[in-house]
Amino acid sequence: MIVTPKILARIVAIVIVAVLLQLSFFSRVTLFHVSPDILPALVVCFGLLGGTMTGVVTGFSIGFLVDCLLVEALGATSLVLLTTGYLAGMFRERFEIQSPLVPPLLCMGLTLFAELGFGAVQLMLGIGAPVSSMIVGDILLKSIYAFFLGWPIYLGVRRALRPALVEESALRRSDQSTAMGA
Amino acid sequence: MYRKQVRRRRAVLALLIIGSFVLLTLTYGHKSGGLQRGVSTIFSPLQNVSDRALKPARDLVNWFDKTFDARGENGKLKTELAKARTEAVNSDVAISENAQLRKLLSLDREVVPSGYQEVTARVISRSPTVWQSSVTIGAGSGDGVSVDDPVISGDGLVGQVSAVTGGSAQVTLLTDHTSAVSAKVVPQGVQGVVKPEIGNPEDLTLAFIDSTRRVHRGESVVTAGWRSQGLSSLYPPNLPVGEVTHASILEQEAIQQVELRPFADLADLDLLQVLTGGSRG
Repeated sequence: MIVTPKILARIVAIVIVAVLLQLSFFSRVTLFHVSPDILPALVVCFGLLGGTMTGVVTGFSIGFLVDCLLVEALGATSLVLLTTGYLAGMFRERFEIQSPLVPPLLCMGLTLFAELGFGAVQLMLGIGAPVSSMIVGDILLKSIYAFFLGWPIYLGVRRALRPALVEESALRRSDQSTAMGA
Repeated sequence: MYRKQVRRRRAVLALLIIGSFVLLTLTYGHKSGGLQRGVSTIFSPLQNVSDRALKPARDLVNWFDKTFDARGENGKLKTELAKARTEAVNSDVAISENAQLRKLLSLDREVVPSGYQEVTARVISRSPTVWQSSVTIGAGSGDGVSVDDPVISGDGLVGQVSAVTGGSAQVTLLTDHTSAVSAKVVPQGVQGVVKPEIGNPEDLTLAFIDSTRRVHRGESVVTAGWRSQGLSSLYPPNLPVGEVTHASILEQEAIQQVELRPFADLADLDLLQVLTGGSRG
């Protein structure tokens, strides 16, 4: 990804809007008693479109902003989301995205990873109460929501960052269509 | 060239991981830092606007969720309704007596203890992960809110303020793993500590109860509000916490605990009241 000042401004705007949307909307609605979490899916999309560097930096920034706004200990969310972004970026650098199902499936898998990561960080910091087995269902349901939400998020972010995407510019020059069919 | 790029990426990754650990080490256990206060102050108005703008959409999604729930609970509620009718008659008698007693004692408020000021605030954001249970409210130190202030909804105790900035405050809910509230069962007065079960917001545990005294299903649990040798509970006495839902004799004798359901709907919080000032315990 070629990050010009204009593209950077777009990334910052996407991050801020997504964090506000997550904290004010998605965290406060429940479907089958579970709230969707779009932030790991967003980080995955940045990683898939921009590679490891973009994934890691946006993951860290989103986590930092979330922790600041929730007045939580800084660093915990950043640590998990930057790792998520790195894994998504690694996938992008090592494999071709040949099926349109890849981004939502990765959003699902890496949201599962992120939720388990949040649990691991909490365990590291100390948990003072028993853990209900219901949490497994909650985490799985969050991952399923990420599958369905990952698709529009990927398309939206891809559209917003299109001028900066190296591969797409090359494809446009050679007048080929992409696997996503845009 | 490629190797240089890879090295640079790894350096950024290592730097950010180390940065995360450093931030965690520096800020864990602290109520709030200057940086958080600054960011929170900048974003508070934006959060307030987005909270109000998105309320209709939120209500719509939650309506669907509650409709699904309502269908499943219909049969159960019919059975409970018959029982509730009987209890309502008894409650009316108690309410009538209570009103007279309150008049006699000149108590003008039902739940809020004297000496406390209520600060009403709207929930502006909620923690996205299942491992933490906290909300941010749109009132902070500028409104008189301070750390450890109890927070209630119209139904009962919700949690306590765990961090404040100028215009917002973090409320740690009863269902957060760090929460522990000293409480008592009424009318017997059996005391214990209300602890959550992570991932199950509709279930709390009243632990460390006296195993020689019996607690029964349907009894109410309120804050104990103790005071001893200069130390006092963070919560004033008699704030409603929940209702005992499961109280087997075996559990009471073996592990000294009963289960309860919080009165407040902790999954759907909108307007909350922070009890500021007061003398605690």
